[in-house]
Amino acid sequence: MTIPIVPKLLRSHLSNLAERDARLDGRGRWEGRELEVQHSILPRAEGSARVRMGDTIVLAGVKFQIMTPYPDRPNQGGLMCSAEVRPVAGRNWESGPPSPESIELGRVVDRGIRESGCIDVDSLCIIPGEKAWQVILDLFAVSDDGNLFDAFALAGIVALRNATVPAERFEVGEDYQLSVSKTPIMCSYHRVGGRFVFDANAREELGGDERIHITLGDDNNVHSLQKGLKGIFSADEFTEIMDNAIERTEKLRKIVDEL
Amino acid sequence: MGGYGEVQMIDENGIRADGRGPGDIRPITIETGVVPVADGSCRMTWGTNEAIVAVYGPMEAHPRKIQRQDRAVLDVAYNMAPFSTTDRMRPGFNRRSREVSKVTQDALESVVLLELYPRSKIRISIEIVSAEAGTRCVGLTAASVALADAGIPMMDLVVSVASGKINDVVVCDLNKEEDNYGEADLPMGIMPNSGELVFLQMDGDLSQDEFKQAWEYNMDAAQEIHKLMVEALNGGDTQ
Repeated sequence: MTIPIVPKLLRSHLSNLAERDARLDGRGRWEGRELEVQHSILPRAEGSARVRMGDTIVLAGVKFQIMTPYPDRPNQGGLMCSAEVRPVAGRNWESGPPSPESIELGRVVDRGIRESGCIDVDSLCIIPGEKAWQVILDLFAVSDDGNLFDAFALAGIVALRNATVPAERFEVGEDYQLSVSKTPIMCSYHRVGGRFVFDANAREELGGDERIHITLGDDNNVHSLQKGLKGIFSADEFTEIMDNAIERTEKLRKIVDEL
Repeated sequence: MGGYGEVQMIDENGIRADGRGPGDIRPITIETGVVPVADGSCRMTWGTNEAIVAVYGPMEAHPRKIQRQDRAVLDVAYNMAPFSTTDRMRPGFNRRSREVSKVTQDALESVVLLELYPRSKIRISIEIVSAEAGTRCVGLTAASVALADAGIPMMDLVVSVASGKINDVVVCDLNKEEDNYGEADLPMGIMPNSGELVFLQMDGDLSQDEFKQAWEYNMDAAQEIHKLMVEALNGGDTQ
């Protein structure tokens, strides 16, 4: 990804806005953009979702492969999660091997889903020691107007919750719904104009500083954290974000569970 | 090309397995402005194919060695998303996508008025998010709509469509099943206003008469698809 020049004017404008507790697009500090979630929209994927947050649009697709279980875990299948941000999604994204930015995206989303235990890897075993399902979650950015992290995480869990294991195609039984027992949700906060805000857009990301990603599970258990980019934050600031994340993830979980 | 003679894909009345006649194309929808951060974009569904195309530019061409003093350069990348196919497609470039990117670029460079933007670059990203058969045609057609949506001056739109042969019968716009057992494939890129071509490929086996029939089907289909493209660009509903 090419790093665009950060206009000093933008940074000072964001600081001025922050002093008045305002944001570029008129949102409140903890206010997310308009959210649209659809599932089962890709005909070739076994599970899929499309998430739109303002002008950020992402797709998630689930595919299955048969793998040989690892020798030390003969009764377990696998989960793999990868994110690709291709040049289609914005003028600063370039083609070529996955950039550190898109690898970080994929790995942070992966940890949140994996560590929540929402997918029971033991249930993915077909023949112990011989055959197991590998679930592959591919995240794909269509339009990047900031906060791809939350969009990817949300699309990912929705796609998994609507995935069908294609057992018939692989001749190992009848198709069945992938069991997803929990709904991990990620919330991301960016420091913009000196204070943290929820769901930053691309302009805020460009003129902002560090970011913090929190994934919470059904009981508000913490499943993944990530601090990204240059910046220093205090324990009090983190507590404030965590409190907001608890509130926010509950609302988002309800939306996902009711789809 | 498979050529599995026993599999009957078309009956004696010329009706295909999915109910189409020999010259009929699959249903098409076209929508513009689907990538809000891009300068122009298009989403096109064609059967169960789906392509998303974004256009960025004209912008500074870098590295400088790719600059042309007298015209713009196009940077076309065709890619299939990992979840676009029945078996997961491993991410990254492969020989097929490189070739499709190149022939698509050659086709589009033939219609875009490149001389208007010296030393600049126009980036065209073609992403196939669902593949059935004929993805290069969907990609090229959608790319020309996205260029128009970006306001890039062109001599004409490009309509790309393929005809082929199943059970020794020439048919237009093969679907996945037909493509698997097809005996020939003739994709063309047509400028609908003049009937001239900017893209042509073929593989398989066609007699001279069959070839002429396939050519005609493509020409007729191009006019039909062109109407949908114009409607989409005028903000109409293509459903």
